Amino acid sequence: MREWRSLLPIIIFTALYAALSLSVTNSYYQLVMTLVPVWAIFGLSWNLLSGYTGLISFGHAAFFGVGAYAVVLGQIHFDLSPWIMIPIAAVLGGIAGLLIGFPTFRLQGHYFALAMLAYPLAILYVFEWLGLQEVTLPIKRENAAAYMQFADHRLYTLLALAMMFATILLTRAVERSRFGMALLAIKQNEAAAEAAGINTLAWKLRAVTLSGAVAGAIGGFYAVVLLVVTPQSVFGMLVSAQALTVAMFGGVGTVWGPVIGSVILIPLAETLNAEAGSRFPGIQGVIYGLAIICVILLAPEGLFWKVRDFWRKRSAALVTASPGASDVPATAAPIPLHPKRSAGTGDIVLEVRNLSRSFGGLKAVQDVSFKLRQNEILGIIGPNGAGKTTLFNLLNGFLRPDTGQILLDGREMAGRKPHALCEAGIGRTFQIMRPFLRMSISDNVVVGAYVRAKTDDEARQLAADAIARVGLSGIADRIAGELTTKELRLMELARALAGQPRILLLDETLAGLGHDEANEVVEVIQRLARDGMTIAIIEHTMQAMVRLVDSFLVLDHGAVIVEGEPEAVTRDSRVIEAYLGKKWVAHAPH
Amino acid sequence: MLRIEGLTAGYSAIPVLNGVSIKVEEGQFVAIVGPNGAGKTTLFKTISGIVRPSAGTIAFEGHDLLSIKPAQRAHLGIAHVPEGRQVFPSLTVMENLEMGAMTEAGRRDWKDNIQRIFEWLPILAERRGQFAGTLSGGQQQMLAIGRGLASSPKLLMLDEPSMGLAPTTADFIFERLIEIRRQSKLTILLVEQRVAEALESADHGYVLEAGRVALEGNNQTLRADDRIRKAYLGM
Amino acid sequence: MTQALEGFLQALSAGLLIGAVYGLMCVGLGLIFGVMRVINFAQGDFMMLGMYAAFYFFTAFGVQAAFGNTIGPFVAIVLAGPVLAVFGYFVHLTLISRVSGTRTSSLEGEGHYAQLILTLGIALILQNGGLLVFGSVLASIRTPLSSSAWELGPMFNDISVFVNKARGIDAVLSLVTMILLTLMITRSRIGKSLRAAADNPTAATYMGIDVDRAHRIAFALGTGITAIAGGLLATNYPFHPFVGVEYVIVMYAGVVLGGMGSIIGAFWGGMTIGLVQQMSTLILPTQLQNAAIFVVFLLIVFFRPQGFFGRMVERT
Repeated sequence: MREWRSLLPIIIFTALYAALSLSVTNSYYQLVMTLVPVWAIFGLSWNLLSGYTGLISFGHAAFFGVGAYAVVLGQIHFDLSPWIMIPIAAVLGGIAGLLIGFPTFRLQGHYFALAMLAYPLAILYVFEWLGLQEVTLPIKRENAAAYMQFADHRLYTLLALAMMFATILLTRAVERSRFGMALLAIKQNEAAAEAAGINTLAWKLRAVTLSGAVAGAIGGFYAVVLLVVTPQSVFGMLVSAQALTVAMFGGVGTVWGPVIGSVILIPLAETLNAEAGSRFPGIQGVIYGLAIICVILLAPEGLFWKVRDFWRKRSAALVTASPGASDVPATAAPIPLHPKRSAGTGDIVLEVRNLSRSFGGLKAVQDVSFKLRQNEILGIIGPNGAGKTTLFNLLNGFLRPDTGQILLDGREMAGRKPHALCEAGIGRTFQIMRPFLRMSISDNVVVGAYVRAKTDDEARQLAADAIARVGLSGIADRIAGELTTKELRLMELARALAGQPRILLLDETLAGLGHDEANEVVEVIQRLARDGMTIAIIEHTMQAMVRLVDSFLVLDHGAVIVEGEPEAVTRDSRVIEAYLGKKWVAHAPH
Repeated sequence: MLRIEGLTAGYSAIPVLNGVSIKVEEGQFVAIVGPNGAGKTTLFKTISGIVRPSAGTIAFEGHDLLSIKPAQRAHLGIAHVPEGRQVFPSLTVMENLEMGAMTEAGRRDWKDNIQRIFEWLPILAERRGQFAGTLSGGQQQMLAIGRGLASSPKLLMLDEPSMGLAPTTADFIFERLIEIRRQSKLTILLVEQRVAEALESADHGYVLEAGRVALEGNNQTLRADDRIRKAYLGM
Repeated sequence: MTQALEGFLQALSAGLLIGAVYGLMCVGLGLIFGVMRVINFAQGDFMMLGMYAAFYFFTAFGVQAAFGNTIGPFVAIVLAGPVLAVFGYFVHLTLISRVSGTRTSSLEGEGHYAQLILTLGIALILQNGGLLVFGSVLASIRTPLSSSAWELGPMFNDISVFVNKARGIDAVLSLVTMILLTLMITRSRIGKSLRAAADNPTAATYMGIDVDRAHRIAFALGTGITAIAGGLLATNYPFHPFVGVEYVIVMYAGVVLGGMGSIIGAFWGGMTIGLVQQMSTLILPTQLQNAAIFVVFLLIVFFRPQGFFGRMVERT
């Protein structure tokens, strides 16, 4: 029921647009009305990849052009109707997406953007060389409708609208499913997404394939509408720019964005082109250029988000925000000094043997060995540069060890990819959090559950359980952008828990918390351990650590110098020397 | 010379410094020690202008430092020898030193300064044409110090000069520092991990913990205090 | 056999000559990227503006009248450089600085994406604005030197290689500019502070170097140099407002090949691209010349992204 309600705006929009188009008689304006949904669909296809994953593609014209040429050449050489060719164009676009995505996703930053720019331009030159400078769809006198050639041009608009509606439904389905959530997680923080069990490469490939398919289909339709295809008109830079502009102007990462962008920009540009085009050639491009610049400087995420954030702020100011207390009691009562659990006698969950890793000449981790038992909390400490984060990166799969073994429940884990390790049961939090600021705690946490849950419903259940375990159930619907640092840390914890890990690697979970807040988080961690979790934690806030952990592993210059209980370790001369220097130990009071 | 009061600063939402107040008189050697995350490097970055504080004041020789752009602060006479050396790897040793002398005072005193720098740190003279990126850690540290001296500073700030260096190299650097101080009467603000060495040579010491000044005093008073160990190790 | 050898040598010499100019073109971009780490999609369009600036200096602002047809064009080109440099300075001041430099150094990765989009917007405005202002008629800067050549030879086997005079002078001017730039970068204080700002912006600020100003200078310089290269190309090939798009990939291919971050590398990268382009005509049809460049570009990006001299690699 709720699904249909939320579709209402789109249904109304489509109906109004259809009515409007039926009343327009001028053939040029009708063409503009047809093109608006066409570019909206192209923008939506761009959005499917770049809007959701954050990997900005400057080369979507490649898929668009492939689709366009497929439809035209298909009809010329094989007499296949566009009704058949457009779906085939979609398939070809999808294949193109896969072929392009697979090698290109290995590139980062500038290189990715440049490579994506190069593809359609390269194809453009090849097509020009092949002599396909200008191909025209042959006109069919009989049976025109079977070849998608309508005398009444309003039918094209209606067809385009139908395709746009379908694309919107598709995009929404993606957005709300784990597909969309996984892509968003990748956009926010790819490393964290991997660590949460998301196979980032697989999801990116799915996104580019779907994106390419939609672009190919609409490219095919574009060819039908315009009847003539040239390499420049479908592979050119302006085409790629149009997809990008329309989506960015309207709003990235949302269904409405490309539609809004297209509705505003296309008529504007086309009208200017028609009215002033002969006296001011190129005015279209100038408008797009200005639109892009204004958007990126003033509203980098697009009109939609700017307006929505603005409204949100206004309505939030009017409604007094309910405190909605988190379940964690805000006591300042001192925590008992590490309650004696059965630490030291449980089953060995994680065993690390002779782990080493160097960077060039620098030995970051040297021959580190230790065991983690069930229910145990191990604190990993050491002075700056001691190798603690490198150790975690090795345990987590971000780095390959040079030598050594990592055994989880006896199974060798070293060298596996982070999402595989998460699946095997190693969960991790990060020091720098990048939550989905516009989404609720539930949505943020559910991403961590996908690695374990088979269905989206199961994922939601696991997420709710995790949220309860950290005590945030009371505010589970609150938007992450409004949370305090403590609540954000607990949310991070919940996300890692949602994957039902065997062990948790906590990286500076207490950083940035005040004294009382740190105590609250410590309590939550202690509870988790009591209930059966095994935890390794890196932290600088020693005051809280000494009360939390069962034992310390002290690293210096990448090697283990001491392992033992807090009392002993903090008075051990080797540890004092590592932190305060040799001379201090020599003359210090004992 | 340098007066910091109630400084609060951090990165994004996470506060690192929480109301820190520190004083450095002209000619003094002040040491700042404390565990990781206490805010020592953030303090230096705030003085140099890379980090903007949310509260508090910094006065240098009467000027309100916070109203002065970061690139301008060096010209007032503040030299910052950063954590991790941060030399310019694709420039030679000599060019690095030239970069240090970009200030007015630096350019004015260049001839004298470069002579003295080469006396104190002869390895720099030996390798003046070598690319800084190919120097060893200890040599880079000396270069960083030389670069700081080349600006003819009034205040020399050093951030963990011994970090990542072998103990003997670190000792050597420290010795040189003491020598430089003796001969030049510079005002020095030093952040160090090796607490004993730092406090020994300093006139005054501050212990930073969790963004606040936990202890202060001179070598005698601080040496005997077990609270320093507690500040680092928690119990 | 002799004919093939002659053809080979001719292509080689053509490649070297055009390569020198491509090299200069890439150096402009390489300077911007090396110092500021900014991807500038509009670089090709700045070059296009340089071409038109030279053209108008030559035809409309009296340079042709004053210096005649033979050396006039070259004077005009040299004048166009500083003009575009000033233009670039202002573009940086008003637009580019908002998405780069010390303002965005705290935003991880955000800066890159914004730079790409912003410069794309600038590119569109320059291209289409150019169409509006200059019209779509092909323009060129004619010098009688472009229709005469020096003959090297006859050498062994009666082989001669013909060096087009205009292209020869272009290459020489290119090299001269390159040498002047290199001297400036390596010897002058400003050049050294640019390199320092590129190496370590934070440490540079500690030294009292205004990194934002350094970026502005680098951007202006890079724009001016690419404009000169454009003017040199204009003496041989007719141009139009959209010519920039064709050269953007050439420029990036050269910079990536030479190694992003190295200015000398950018020159050699451009030279290599010129050679590839000319020598590919020996085995490929002319129309696929540019496609060959793209293929080379993609190959480098995949298999050796750090190029020949590169200092930084961006790979997972």
